[in-house]
Amino acid sequence: MGNVLEVVGIEKNYPGVVANRNVSLNVTEGSIHSIIGENGAGKSTLMKILYGLVRPDAGSIKVFGEAIALKSPQDAIKLGIGMVHQHFKLADNATVLENVILGSEPTRFGFVVKYDEARKKLQEIADHYGLEIDPDESLANLGVGERQRVEIAKVLFRGAKILILDEPTAVLVPQEVEELFTNLRELVKKGLTVLFISHKLDEVLSIADDITIMRQGTTVATRKPKDTNKKELAELMVGGELPKPRAGNQKVSDEKVLAINGASYVREDGRQILSGVNLEIHGGEILGLAGVEGNGQSELIELIMGLLTPSSGTVEVLGLNATTSLTRDIRNAGVAYIPQDRQRDGLLMTAPLWENRVLGHQFAEPLASSIWVNKGAAISDSKRVVDEFDVRTPGVNVLASALSGGNQQKFIVGRELSGNPKLIVAAQPTRGVDVGAQAIIWDHLMKARSGGAGVLLVSADLDELFSLSDRIAVIYNGSIVSVLNPAKTTPEALGLAMTGAKSA
Amino acid sequence: MSKKVESLESSSKVKSFFKSPARITLLIATVFFVIALVESITGAVDISSPGTSGATLRFAIPLLMAGLGGLWAERAGVINIGLEGMMIVGTWTGAWFGYLYGPYVGLLAAAIFGLLSGLFHAILTVKIGIDQAVSGLAINLIAAGAARYLSGIFFPPVGGDRTVSPPVETMPTFTIPIIAPFFKSIDEKEIFLISNISGLIYGVTTELSVVTVGLLLLLPLTSWVLWRSKFGLRMRFSGENPMAAESLGINVYRTRYIAISISGMFASLGGAYLSLVASSVYREGQTAGRGFIGLATVIFGNWRPSGVFAGSILFGFTDALRVRQNESVMAILLAAAIIAGLLSLYYALSRQWKPMSIAGIIALTGFWLNRQVETIPQEFVTVFPNVATLIVLTFLAQRLTPPAMAGMPYRRGSE
Repeated sequence: MGNVLEVVGIEKNYPGVVANRNVSLNVTEGSIHSIIGENGAGKSTLMKILYGLVRPDAGSIKVFGEAIALKSPQDAIKLGIGMVHQHFKLADNATVLENVILGSEPTRFGFVVKYDEARKKLQEIADHYGLEIDPDESLANLGVGERQRVEIAKVLFRGAKILILDEPTAVLVPQEVEELFTNLRELVKKGLTVLFISHKLDEVLSIADDITIMRQGTTVATRKPKDTNKKELAELMVGGELPKPRAGNQKVSDEKVLAINGASYVREDGRQILSGVNLEIHGGEILGLAGVEGNGQSELIELIMGLLTPSSGTVEVLGLNATTSLTRDIRNAGVAYIPQDRQRDGLLMTAPLWENRVLGHQFAEPLASSIWVNKGAAISDSKRVVDEFDVRTPGVNVLASALSGGNQQKFIVGRELSGNPKLIVAAQPTRGVDVGAQAIIWDHLMKARSGGAGVLLVSADLDELFSLSDRIAVIYNGSIVSVLNPAKTTPEALGLAMTGAKSA
Repeated sequence: MSKKVESLESSSKVKSFFKSPARITLLIATVFFVIALVESITGAVDISSPGTSGATLRFAIPLLMAGLGGLWAERAGVINIGLEGMMIVGTWTGAWFGYLYGPYVGLLAAAIFGLLSGLFHAILTVKIGIDQAVSGLAINLIAAGAARYLSGIFFPPVGGDRTVSPPVETMPTFTIPIIAPFFKSIDEKEIFLISNISGLIYGVTTELSVVTVGLLLLLPLTSWVLWRSKFGLRMRFSGENPMAAESLGINVYRTRYIAISISGMFASLGGAYLSLVASSVYREGQTAGRGFIGLATVIFGNWRPSGVFAGSILFGFTDALRVRQNESVMAILLAAAIIAGLLSLYYALSRQWKPMSIAGIIALTGFWLNRQVETIPQEFVTVFPNVATLIVLTFLAQRLTPPAMAGMPYRRGSE
């Protein structure tokens, strides 16, 4: 069988960042081709290019042997390329059929939808490819796995021959993953081609016919599952070279700033997110929490901040019971929180910087006294943060939304590290910031550690984990699967542990 | 866990009870039976008299038009608080152009100016991105102010007043042959229940305006557009998930422009009905908040055309009663108490304790009031429609499924 998709020398630059360079890919007809890589390795950019959402700066794409230039997703659909988005684009208050046909409705006279014909066609597609769906079911009644099937049916209905699935298993529970794989195998058996993006090595090894590995924006190798193993894939993903070992003296105190004992959390829909997590952080140490996103990190952080209540177990923060304490008390006790989603949880986008400086410190001196906010102190301290953290802004009176993402992040970190916190919960503190800013943030976190603060560093960036952490705990599927010493471990071993492999 | 499953099951039972056509028929029949019963007990014959049903229809049409207008806008994802103002546009342009060129031109003018007022709302909310409530309120204020200003300029020179237009030629009415006389004859025989229903049918088939029939046709048309046409499907997705619609190549902005313009046209036609059919003159304050009641029927009707229709009939009925007999309200109170009692019994059988007790309390209060009070004060009669609205919405609130993105700001290309 021939190649349905040939990509040669794709390059895409964003201001200051090379998202893709020298990307090449050959996809055989009727195969499942996996693309793996760390966060930020350029997988998403490549997929956006293939789906017409982003135009490449250089390179060529051939679909079914013909060179093409995609201008929009509609072009891609016409050529038979369909995308199953990670975040479903469906409406609850409509039926499966309506969701599937929207935008390519079969019509009579151009305006009457031929629902009967559409239903028949969808049923045929579903039968042909072994997808279990009921066209007349209301979408509100469907679970995540079923919704994903609707998304797949949607692209098939449009006649897609090449399906791109962007991290399709991220939202699924294990049984649903199995069902998805059964469906995908059925699709390729019928002659379709699947591009499967993932960073879960186990899944890739079990489903893919070919595996292409991306690192730092480029494709580094292509392997067959039978010729490779997890260890090699992990090495290829993170690169052979070890991050530089870190210097610095350390004084770990006896004081436990964070003690989590057997904490479990079951979400309202009954899904077990965390099971029996034990973690301890002492003053003066940085504990790295490594893990692929969505393995319970966000919920763990929310337990610590008193935003969620554990189903069982205890969370003790600076001697306070986080479950029964108000978030306000937890923060006042000396807990700093750098949230993962800076625009949603970290800033008021339509407020000036100095007001944002007060957030989280609005109950205590020096920024507040009794019921009043001390505007003068807030402005002068905002200026200090801007200077110390090199926040590029015309002043502290501009709105937070006027700053670039990296500068917003620097401002948040600066705010949170103010007032000598004793425990710093830092979630992806350097995501999306440039190398210079990263160095500043790392430096300040290390300073806080030398000053006796305990740091919980949640990161998907292996470099960051190795450079900063005194210990690295690995979270997988809601459990801490291992705690590693960064001096005695390799990125490969860590990468393996993150994907749930037992041997490390 | 088992408790949760149980309550889910019983709530779906309730849902299917209200959904099945046969049972709805049964429900309506029960209501009629109770009304007939109450009428024969109390002697308040006006509830189901032909006069009341005819008046109900006349009061319901403007509400229906405002409601359908609201439905079009909200299904496309934009809340239209400006319905009231758009109705004012209809009353004024209908009367003025009706006076100049005859009532049919008046209707046409109302349709055109209503369309433009809807388009204005669309430009403000869709293109410029102004908050939907702010834009709607602005339209209400502008329309009321402009109507007053223009009335002062245009009406006095031609024999009108600063607040009242010169009279417009009345529109013709017709009585459906055979059907109307047939039901009239049965109504006069005063047979229990059958005569009540016949009277009602006679009321809505006699002295009908062509406009009434024409506007009523917009109801099935709206249903057809929503559930059968390509535009309707795209419009619904513009209200449910515009991001998804956009990703499939649908022009959400254009869809919303069209839907909101039609929304304005419908509301304006409802206004024109007030000044051309229900009366034959424009009077300041003629809309009297009907645009807002129309908005309420959208919620009451769960964003469905049939529900909007039911809502406008209900509100139109309470409106019609208000201008009629006082003792009718007492009778309605008794009927409502009986129905609430039956509902309470039903909920008790399906072991839904909370709705059961609410219905039970309403029933007992109704019976108690009926025994204690000789005549109901005029104030209560005036407030009755509002109370009825509150009660009905209390019962229905949990089962509502509004368009997911109605009222939310949406910019093209947002994720």
